[in-house]
Amino acid sequence: MAFRLAARALPRRATPLAALARRGYAEGGPSDKIKLSMVLPHQTIFSSTEVTQVNLPAVTGDMGVLANHLSTIEPLRPGVLEVIESAGQSKKWFVSSGFATVHPDNTMTINIIEGAPLEDFSAEAVRSNLAEAQRVASGNGSEEEKAEARIEVDVYEALQASLR
Amino acid sequence: MSSLWRQYMTYNKYSQIAARALRAGLKEDARVQAEKRGFTALRFQEWENGQPGEQVWIDKPKDDGRAKPAV
Repeated sequence: MAFRLAARALPRRATPLAALARRGYAEGGPSDKIKLSMVLPHQTIFSSTEVTQVNLPAVTGDMGVLANHLSTIEPLRPGVLEVIESAGQSKKWFVSSGFATVHPDNTMTINIIEGAPLEDFSAEAVRSNLAEAQRVASGNGSEEEKAEARIEVDVYEALQASLR
Repeated sequence: MSSLWRQYMTYNKYSQIAARALRAGLKEDARVQAEKRGFTALRFQEWENGQPGEQVWIDKPKDDGRAKPAV
């Protein structure tokens, strides 16, 4: 009680020195955006860009990352990666695989092996490639060939679902 | 479900197969650009007692007269 009265008694006019001390560095304080760096081997998509939310197709399941997310390293499965830069502005890519790392300082790095915007895909090519891969996966080749075909089936099924 | 490939290959190979599948699903013009990225060539040479062995190509790229090798 006494402390509160004393605080009110302080002069309300802030001196320039006090204002500087209170403001601190520009990056300090909680932010509602996370800094995203998203790279492919041949191209940088985002380079420390502030974004609101990132939706990842992690191997453990779909997850959304907001500002100040827990640090984590997530392997990605073939699926749709969505980046929401600000309310209403979102971009989607289909990615084959990679890793997403959320760092403790509210930054995030996504390394993608191969990926492209959804409009760059051809539904017809996906359909025929899926049929071919399913044929090999259930055929009578070696176990390695069938494992490779199963990977391709996973990619094409996820791609088909995302293009719908 | 996703780790059935683990008994047959490394993550490297898995990621290359998935990337290859993705590239094959692209539209025509994007696919042509992307297929170039999928090509990997290797040339190695074994040395013994200070003597070089034969230079061996794996997936030698076609020589169209444009590119010059580094070595």
